[in-house]
Order: sequence, then structure tokens, then C-alpha cells
Amino acid sequence: MKKPFPVLPAITVLVAAAYFLVPLFATFYFSLKMTRGTLSFAAYQSVFNSREFLDSLVYSTLASLAAIVMGALIIVPTVYWVRLKIPKLRPVVEFVSLLPLIVPGVVLVFGYIRLFGSNSYLPLTNTDRGTDLLLVLGFVIMSMPYMYRAVDNGMAAIDISTLTEAAESLGASRLRTVALVIFPNVRSSIIAGSFLTFSISLGEFVLPSLLNRPAFGPYLVQLGQDRAYEPAALAIMAFGFTWACMALMQVFANKKPGQGVVPRLPFLSRKERSA
Amino acid sequence: MSFLSITGATKAFGANTVVKGFDLEVQKGEFVSFLGPSGCGKTTVLRMIAGFETPTTGKVMIDGRDVTQLAPNKRRIGMVFQAYALFPNMNVFGNIAFGLKIAGLNKTETEGRVHEMLKLIGLEHLAARYPYEMSGGQQQRVALARALAPRPQVLLLDEPLSALDAKIRVSLREEIRDIQRKLGITTVFVTHDQEEAMSISDRMVVMNSGRADQIGTPAEIYNRPRTSFVASFVGTLNILKAKIADAGQRKVSIGGRTLQLNDRIKSSDGNVLLALRPEALSLTPSDRQDVAVEGTVTHVNFMGSVIRIRMDVDGETIVFDMFNTPHLTPPTLGQRALAHFSSQDVFEIAA
Repeated sequence: MKKPFPVLPAITVLVAAAYFLVPLFATFYFSLKMTRGTLSFAAYQSVFNSREFLDSLVYSTLASLAAIVMGALIIVPTVYWVRLKIPKLRPVVEFVSLLPLIVPGVVLVFGYIRLFGSNSYLPLTNTDRGTDLLLVLGFVIMSMPYMYRAVDNGMAAIDISTLTEAAESLGASRLRTVALVIFPNVRSSIIAGSFLTFSISLGEFVLPSLLNRPAFGPYLVQLGQDRAYEPAALAIMAFGFTWACMALMQVFANKKPGQGVVPRLPFLSRKERSA
Repeated sequence: MSFLSITGATKAFGANTVVKGFDLEVQKGEFVSFLGPSGCGKTTVLRMIAGFETPTTGKVMIDGRDVTQLAPNKRRIGMVFQAYALFPNMNVFGNIAFGLKIAGLNKTETEGRVHEMLKLIGLEHLAARYPYEMSGGQQQRVALARALAPRPQVLLLDEPLSALDAKIRVSLREEIRDIQRKLGITTVFVTHDQEEAMSISDRMVVMNSGRADQIGTPAEIYNRPRTSFVASFVGTLNILKAKIADAGQRKVSIGGRTLQLNDRIKSSDGNVLLALRPEALSLTPSDRQDVAVEGTVTHVNFMGSVIRIRMDVDGETIVFDMFNTPHLTPPTLGQRALAHFSSQDVFEIAA
């Protein structure tokens, strides 16, 4: 017996899809209409030709990458140590890692400015480099819930205490164990966390705006106030970029050791293995 | 002078003392098993040898050197875990080479040693495989090779066969023993499987709630268990109730028969519990079997080469095995039969 066509679920899916896709399409359509009368990529060209666009993008990219490296170096050893030595404190550390979701960015920045402002013991805001550092630290904090989750899940999947003991019985010190065994085994989780960190810090507005740094987020907002078509083009590009990040996360999260980015093809694998 | 020695080791986790005054001397090249139920402290003792636990009191010496406070990575031990614990990010070659790299061997030396190890475990064709691409038995062999590659002083095996299926378990334990003999490496093996312990070891340590109840060769442990725990934990045992007839003469009476024991009677209340292995009993008497008890056959378990029979003797169940032969007719259920045994095979156990 053939099942009847699921009418109601199909309509639900279509409506839900339309809810997301129609505005997306409308934005895309609008972004193509910069030149009167024809559809063109003129708005995109205009964006790419802007000096400010490239500068702020490069600035934000570098800051995000710095935040990723710093975040991984802080979070991986922390998660490892908590899981290995003080598993009782795991709920506490987990709660702390979630705090940035509760504390708004504005509060964080004003806290920073009070703590590290010109009248403080460590006046980081007096120099541009110091403020850059504050910004990166802020990114680290803001992305911590995501980075922590990703790394914690990665470590849950491997038996870190036995692997640590195995490495130690073979003569490895703690540092080498972390570097040679733990880091590589949670690499895909770190990468997944990194993409999340990257997409959060790249578009972040509040932090760089209040710290007055020339980042991508403030540029986007400024552009939205000044221009008509370019923001739509940027929105579409940002959308594409976010999806690319998600796709890459999937690829890395599901990657097994010994495989390239592209999964091994069966007819090639035998040759590879014997080599 | 023994190669590995543990003296007066105790280990307490908070209020819970899991190892209580453990002493053991292991000779160089010896294969010693720790056997006991879960929670008896056998793994904790192994982990003290490895350095993953520090004894609360007592000390561990390897090759004349006190290693009690030495970190695990300085002890030159090889360890194999129940869960294999291969490094998932490295292939077989990488796993075996790990300890060599840490030891600072150069590339040619490392490659030579890894291939030697692969040959030893018979997996030369799998050098490029990753752990997730191999069966449990293969992974455990790689884990063994990895542990042996840096030429450790002592090999520690923590229930290495428990996660494997029955057939592989038997073949791998023979392989482990062969390799151990070939290399002459001092080995400590932890298991809760008595058959495994008996078949593989030079000597075994039967552990019970943190203590070594008995240390001896498998034959000693099986044939002359010193405590009732050892007697009941290792192998199957028949318990017969008897009365002391003449304590001085070591005579007891059972089922109207008097028999003389090998050892002095320890019991003092007139009753004595006698133990007998299933293989010491038979339905047809042989020359040395001087005693018989009568009972009713309640179970006949045909197991191929062996037939296991349960018999009810005055309300007590006794179990014994007889070898199958092509012409044998097994006893039928409910049949009255005589079970013969020798008074020489009977030993007293504490109540």
C-alpha cells in the first residue's frame, strides 16, 4: 500500500523555507539593482573597491585569528586538566565558560575600560596595540562558550586518561603528551570551534565600536547608514561566508585521521596504504 | 636478588584502603599474574608498579632501584591496557614508533625497530592502518608492540584480553606468552579470568580484598589452595561435611567411612569441611580411590570431551567430571551411583 502524500508536513516545510528564502532572495535581488534599469554586480564591485572594506576586513580577520590561537591555547589545556585531574569541578568550569552568553558585550567592554583604562594600574587603552589586545581578549571571552563546548565534546569522544597513561608509560612528559597526543586528537574539535569563533568575532560590532578599533563590524554598520545597495551586497556575502564556515566545520568535524580533506576514494586507498 | 619487588605496599583512597600490605618478589624474565575478583586491588598494585599510583606506604623496586617516587615516564615500563589505548591520530607505524621518538632514536633506528616489532606481532602488512580500521585483536597486538618497542624493563598487562571475544582471547594469550618467552621480559599480567591466569603464568598471585592470599605456581594454587577464598575462587570445588573422628591421627568420618587427611586438622568444633576438585571424583573406581559416597544423579551435562555430572549426596550437591570415550554410556538422571575418590585428594578448608 502506498502511503498518502504528506500534505500538511509538505506545506509546513514550504512555508518555513519561504520565511527564510524570500527575504534572502529579496535582499539579493535588491543588491543587484544598483545600476538603474539593469541587474548587475555593481554594488559588489563598489564594496570591493572600497579601501575601508579591505582594511577593516583584514584587521578583523587578524584579530579573529589571534583570538582563535589564544582561545585554543587557553581552553584545550584547561579542558584536559579539568577532565583528567578535577572532574568534580567540571560543572563549575562549564558554568564559567557559559557566562559570556549571560554578560552582554556592553557590560564586558565597560568592565574592560574601567579595569584597563588610562587611570588604572594596567592602562592598556592608552595605546593602539594595547586596545587591540583588549579586543582580542574580548573575542576570546565571547567565543569561549562555543570553543569550550567544541573542545569538551572532542575530549569526551576519546579516553584521555588512558591515552595520557599510555603516552606516559612510553616515556612522554605531560607537555609532550598534550602536544603529541591530546592536541592532534581534538584538532577537528578545535577547528570546529575556530570557525565559530571566527564567524562571531568577524562581525562583532559592540566590542570594536566601543574600543574604537577599525574593525569589520563597525564598518558594516556605518555602511548601512551611508549607502543603499552596498549593505545588501555585504549581507549576501556574509551569508555565503557563514555557510562556507558551517560547511568547513562539518568537513573537519567528520574527518578521520589519515584522511585528506576529501575522503579517500576506495580504489586509491589500497595503493596509499601499501606505500 | 629479585628484579621487581614490592614491599609492604598499601594504598588508601580516602578512608578506603584498597591494598593492604602487599609483598611480591618477581624474578627477571618471570611471568606473574594477579588474579582476583574486581575490586580486590590487583589493578591498583599494577598501577603502583607503573607509577600511576603512589603507594601510601611501602616501596617498589625495579632492578635494585627504588622507583616508589619516580614519575611513570621515567620508569621504563611498557604497559598494555584493556581498552587498547592506541593513539587514534597515528597509524600503526606511528603508534609503535611513539616511544622510540620520545627516547630520541633517529629515523633509521626507529624504522628498523618498528619493523622488527611488526614482524614479532605478524602485522607487517598493516603498518599504514589507523586504529579505527583494525579489529580488537589486531589493535591489542599493536598495543603490545608499542609497549615493547622501547625495550622496557618490565611489561605490565592490565586485563589486555578482557575486551576481546573468546577465540581471539585464547590465541592472543598464547601469542603474548610466546613473545614474552622470546624476549625474556619480566611481565606482570592482571586478570579476573582464572583459566587465563593459570594457562599463561609462571607464578600467580591470588588477591582478595587488598591482600595476596596466595602466591605460587598455577599447579600449587590449584592443587593446594591455602585459604578458603583461593580454594573457592580458583576452579570448581566440592564441599563435603565430615566429623572429626580422631584429631591427632588426622582422621575424619564421612558417610560412615573413616578417612585419613594429609594435613593436620585445623577445625576445633568437631565438624570439618572437606574440599575436593571435580576431577578427583569418578563413577568407576581406580586403584588409588579408597573412598566412595552414594548419591542420586541430578544433572548430566555433556560438554564434548568432558561430561560434568551433578549428584545429590545427603542433600549436598557434588560436581564431578568424567572424560568422554566413544564407548561410554553416560549415567541417567535419577540413577543411584557411587562417586569414588581418594582420601589423598581431599583437603580441609576453613569454614
